Amino acid sequence: MMNLKRLYTALKTDIKKADSVLGMNRRNLGYVYPSNPRKYFEFANNKLLTKKTLEAAELSVPETFLSVSYFYELTEMEEKLRRLKSFVIKPSSGSGGSGIVVISDYQEGDWLSVSGKTYTFADLKKHIADIIFGVYSFGLNDTAIIEERVVQNSLISELSPQGLADIRVINYKGSNIKAMLRIATIASDGRANLHQGGVGVAIDLESGKTFSAQVHGENITHHPDTGIALLGVTIPSWDALLRLSEAAAKAIPLGYLGIDIALSESGPVILEVNARPGIEIQNICGEGMRELLCTIDAGKSI
Amino acid sequence: MRSGVKTPSYIYRFTLFILLFATFSLMGYKLFVLEYELADLIPTVGYDVEVNMQVSGHGDKMSISTYLPIGTAHQNISDERSAPDIFTTQITVDGLNRIASWQAPAVSGTHIIRYNYFVEAEHVIYDIDRDVPISEKLPDYLQPYLAPQEGIQVNDPLIEQTLHELFGEQKPDTYEALRTIHHYLQNEFQTRNFSGFTDALTALKLKEASCNGKSRLFVALTRKLGLPSRLVGGLILNQGSKKTSHQWVEVYVRGHWIPFDTINNYFAEIPKNYLRLYYGDKVLFKHTTNINFQYMFHITKKLVPRKEMKEAMYASPLNAYNMYKIFESIGISQNLLKIILMIPLGALVIVIFRNVIGIETFGTFLPALIATAARETGLMWGLIAFLAIIMVSAMIRRFLDYLQLLHSPKMAIMLTVVVISMLLTTMVAVQTSYLDLAHVSLFPIAILAITAERFAIIQEEQGFLKALRISFFTAVVITAAYAVMSSLFMQSLFIAFPELLFFLIVLNLWLGKWVGMRLSEFIRFRKLIFKAKS
Repeated sequence: MMNLKRLYTALKTDIKKADSVLGMNRRNLGYVYPSNPRKYFEFANNKLLTKKTLEAAELSVPETFLSVSYFYELTEMEEKLRRLKSFVIKPSSGSGGSGIVVISDYQEGDWLSVSGKTYTFADLKKHIADIIFGVYSFGLNDTAIIEERVVQNSLISELSPQGLADIRVINYKGSNIKAMLRIATIASDGRANLHQGGVGVAIDLESGKTFSAQVHGENITHHPDTGIALLGVTIPSWDALLRLSEAAAKAIPLGYLGIDIALSESGPVILEVNARPGIEIQNICGEGMRELLCTIDAGKSI
Repeated sequence: MRSGVKTPSYIYRFTLFILLFATFSLMGYKLFVLEYELADLIPTVGYDVEVNMQVSGHGDKMSISTYLPIGTAHQNISDERSAPDIFTTQITVDGLNRIASWQAPAVSGTHIIRYNYFVEAEHVIYDIDRDVPISEKLPDYLQPYLAPQEGIQVNDPLIEQTLHELFGEQKPDTYEALRTIHHYLQNEFQTRNFSGFTDALTALKLKEASCNGKSRLFVALTRKLGLPSRLVGGLILNQGSKKTSHQWVEVYVRGHWIPFDTINNYFAEIPKNYLRLYYGDKVLFKHTTNINFQYMFHITKKLVPRKEMKEAMYASPLNAYNMYKIFESIGISQNLLKIILMIPLGALVIVIFRNVIGIETFGTFLPALIATAARETGLMWGLIAFLAIIMVSAMIRRFLDYLQLLHSPKMAIMLTVVVISMLLTTMVAVQTSYLDLAHVSLFPIAILAITAERFAIIQEEQGFLKALRISFFTAVVITAAYAVMSSLFMQSLFIAFPELLFFLIVLNLWLGKWVGMRLSEFIRFRKLIFKAKS
């Protein structure tokens, strides 16, 4: 009997503790649906619209060189494209990083991607045509964005030599709640994606210092490929980054957001905005985020 | 702790109330005013029997015949189906028996004749009055049941001697006679699995026999005592395939033919899974001698609604069954309606798996649709076919990726590939006699193509293992949806009370506001939830 009672009390405490973690059901019903009206989802899902909105608010985003929505534009773009040496092609409505090609060099009429692949103009044209036709956005017509390639800050580059790292900030009603750095690895094929084996590094919101890191749910202290220490690093321009995130949350008419920011040599740049940010960040940071959300709902600042 | 979830509005509560009220008032009306019996909703077991006869010949005339069961107080035969291949079927009645015969003028090569029927039977136990003397005078039509016949040597001295040993000088009453003979054969004789013919005397001398020897001896002994008796041939129904038929006896006592089986010890009793096929000392299959002949019984256990419930519902006004007759009049069968009624229930199962348990599956309601289709193929074949089609199509899709095609034509090719693989599966299934698998063509084709596409995308973006994991979970959810949707109790319940669909909406309305942690999230966030208590 005593043991049963103890078990019951332990279980009750655990369930109470589970209250501090934001589950998927509560994220949707409590935060995404009430704070992010469906009609404004476009501001996150359509990357071209996101960029235009942020640019209008004078926030830094990678410069858009070209956007291609129609087939007749494909031939017209050759001249413009040939003037570019380094750029990124991405579908405006793609998800999970699919359909993104990063070009880093232009030699003898052909382009070279960061992964070492050579692209002729015909190759790029085909890829852009695919994007327009909706290959990366479930068959819906899409727009291809050709934009500036962000050259990341040297310190971040040391942490993430396999590809562009980004900092995901969760923002609720204008306040930054949680932040993590996502690092590309060999396993993640150069993408900063946690599902694919990217490393998630927790950042202390106050100080901008990294304090814990995980890959596939396992705690690590050093980069799995390079062995570089990941903890105790202070992220450069941290205050500017936090302010940029807050300003983006103000510019985009959504209340519960994941804002993805890259750090270039000249400072933070917003890559994209997510209207249904994942909840894995709680595991990365080693703490549930529900209490913080409740504090904000109660009208207090953090 | 305050949360971001708004308290349910009055409109929400009002909708809940209206739907609950509609459900329970309609159910209450049926239960208390129309007197529906809930107990009758619990289904009973029935058996689908397939007689499968494989013949091969060399161009000659061929004829095959066998006995078909007849409905009695013990057994009810329905839903007879025949797949006679090139043969013409003729069904005739010969005395107490029903004979099916198949004929064809020139048969070469191998052919398969199938005949199916559905059996619902009752377990019947008879009470034999004690102290009733064996009647001296019996009507003429019972006389054949007292006479000797081949293999049943009623007047042999050995039979008489045995009866003398069992009963002495005194003539026993009916009950005692049957009791003693039954015990004698049940306990003093070894049961052997001979397949050949054993006559009564041989069985008696050897003190061992299979069912046919024991039955002939039972008949010889009872006839000698003046009790009319006969042999019964039939089948013991168990899930699976078998060739073995069974024989037992029936004895005429005061207007009733009462069953006895001294192999499995049924005294004046016939269990639910005994199927009577013929009366008399017959051979189950007959065929012309110029052929190779093989037969097999395939028996499938099925749950069916109780007869009483069906009758009760037909009888009352405003009843469910009469309602369904409207659909039947335009060609929508009750079976189809049952399936349609079960789809919302399957959807609820999926909602629970997704939102309460937190399992990721392909497509939101794909598992319910596959589970529906699996009613025809059986769960196992349904799952195998589903997984095989998905894997094959996903592989094809990877190949199409390599060719770099635009999305819509690529999806059209995927759809075509799914159709082709279905046709091939069906053809192979028919050739190899896995007829259940042949129903794979009922699968929702477009949804399979989209699922294959999802499989390929997940495989590409998150790895093959992840795609396999989701396939596994999809199979789990299909199984759960199948279990609920094919539950006969649920089917009977929804046919009797279709207003329960409102209740399903209520449950979904409630689940739609449920913000608790999913079970899988307790595992996912275990480090946060169960971390060292300090």
